[in-house]
Amino acid sequence: MPETPPPLLAARALTVSRRVDAGLIRILDAIDLTLDAGTLADVVGPSGAGKTTLLLALARLLPGVEGALIFDGAPATTIDPRVWRASIAYLPQRNALLPGTVAASLRAPWRLKIRAGAQAPSDEALRVALDGVRLTDVALDRDVARLSEGQAARVAFLRTLLTGPRVLLLDEPDAALDAESSAEVGRLTREFTGAGGAVIRVRHHVADGLADRRLHLAGGHLTEVAL
Amino acid sequence: MTTQLAGGVVLIGWPQLLLASGFVFVTGALALWMQLGLTKDLAIGAARTYIQLLLLGVVLGWAFQADRWYWVVGILGIMTVAAARIILKRAPDAPAGLFLAAVTSMAVTGITVTFAVTGLVIGADPWYSPRYVIPIAGMVLGNSMTGIALSLERVFSDLDSRADEVLAMSALGATAWEAAHPSIRTALRAGLIPAINSMAAAGIVFIPGMMTGQILAGADPLEATKYQIVVMLMVAAAEVIGAVIAVLMSYKRRFTPDGVFLEKGLRD
Repeated sequence: MPETPPPLLAARALTVSRRVDAGLIRILDAIDLTLDAGTLADVVGPSGAGKTTLLLALARLLPGVEGALIFDGAPATTIDPRVWRASIAYLPQRNALLPGTVAASLRAPWRLKIRAGAQAPSDEALRVALDGVRLTDVALDRDVARLSEGQAARVAFLRTLLTGPRVLLLDEPDAALDAESSAEVGRLTREFTGAGGAVIRVRHHVADGLADRRLHLAGGHLTEVAL
Repeated sequence: MTTQLAGGVVLIGWPQLLLASGFVFVTGALALWMQLGLTKDLAIGAARTYIQLLLLGVVLGWAFQADRWYWVVGILGIMTVAAARIILKRAPDAPAGLFLAAVTSMAVTGITVTFAVTGLVIGADPWYSPRYVIPIAGMVLGNSMTGIALSLERVFSDLDSRADEVLAMSALGATAWEAAHPSIRTALRAGLIPAINSMAAAGIVFIPGMMTGQILAGADPLEATKYQIVVMLMVAAAEVIGAVIAVLMSYKRRFTPDGVFLEKGLRD
């Protein structure tokens, strides 16, 4: 009988507490979560429930997180935080592109030490990627300051996707997009899971039919709900 | 009114000093009339100028007479600590615990640049000669204090304004240095611009203070110019060295050891 592979990402008793006016509150209260390869999970819940906090905690981008994280069977404590973040990539809701051209912005990850020696995508590869999210009219040498909010959101999405992570943590990836662009980003997200990746997506919009699982976060607790 | 001359220098007597204070009274009256709410600050400022500078005159006179290396070193130490405290006050956004960075940057800058000038350029003998070391150190520390304070204030305010970009870079695997680098660059440029501007404008827009003082004291203008060039170059060097040390020693305080940027909501 073939051995079952471990979940791609798992969290055990994930807890985040913050001091607020009323005292110490648990934004995430001992959350358990497993995510298998090939899965797209949507996280929904009221504003301020801690959805972004959950993604930041999973990406190891938040200090003071208690509990355990496991990536592909390996505890987080055995993985360098930067290697972790390169594998489990968080895409912020507010996209922040570095000043410069679209091409420079898309290649920015390859200027980091963590990808030293790796080959940055060619102009041709960048062109194909941009065309894939309906940015055919955006030239590679266009200044990012001249992109609309929706265009910038798609460039930021591509920037993360092109680095080849194993898990994508998307914080409202289609909040600034029109229906057609949103569908293109959704298609690429599904392609990513189809190739063995896993995705957690925070969404406020109505379900788009792409997710395999739907998780509801409220009161610090995460519960599986029907699609 | 009698004018006393000492070695070609016109001495200022107490009556003349009081006469000069008349301008502050005029300014104070103007501030009162225009309801600027600055009269008290102006009075305190003027009083502090009198007290601090007269005290400095007395201390310098005493230090020149005592002529002991340990007094000179002690005075430099007090100046360094005082400058570090002023730097921290001028950077309110900076995280706590930066005193060491401020003192180190001021001390390294003060010691290297001051003694490089007094020893190698002026050739002061003995090495601690208070007449040369204390005034030169005062200029070095005073100017590098401005550069360091500007750089420190800017690096933390720029990191805050780039919080989204810093988070995005960290999420892509950037180190604290890589994520903070644009802010460090901006901060060092901000700290160095005053020195560069003052070098560019010297002699055209204004006559620098030290040169003015030497000319008023009867020195040959060309000799005073040479001194001023040395001072301006060393001040620029001091600002660069001080700002770089201070910023490099402090920017990581906004990041956790794991390289996570502590944006406003995450600070204790």
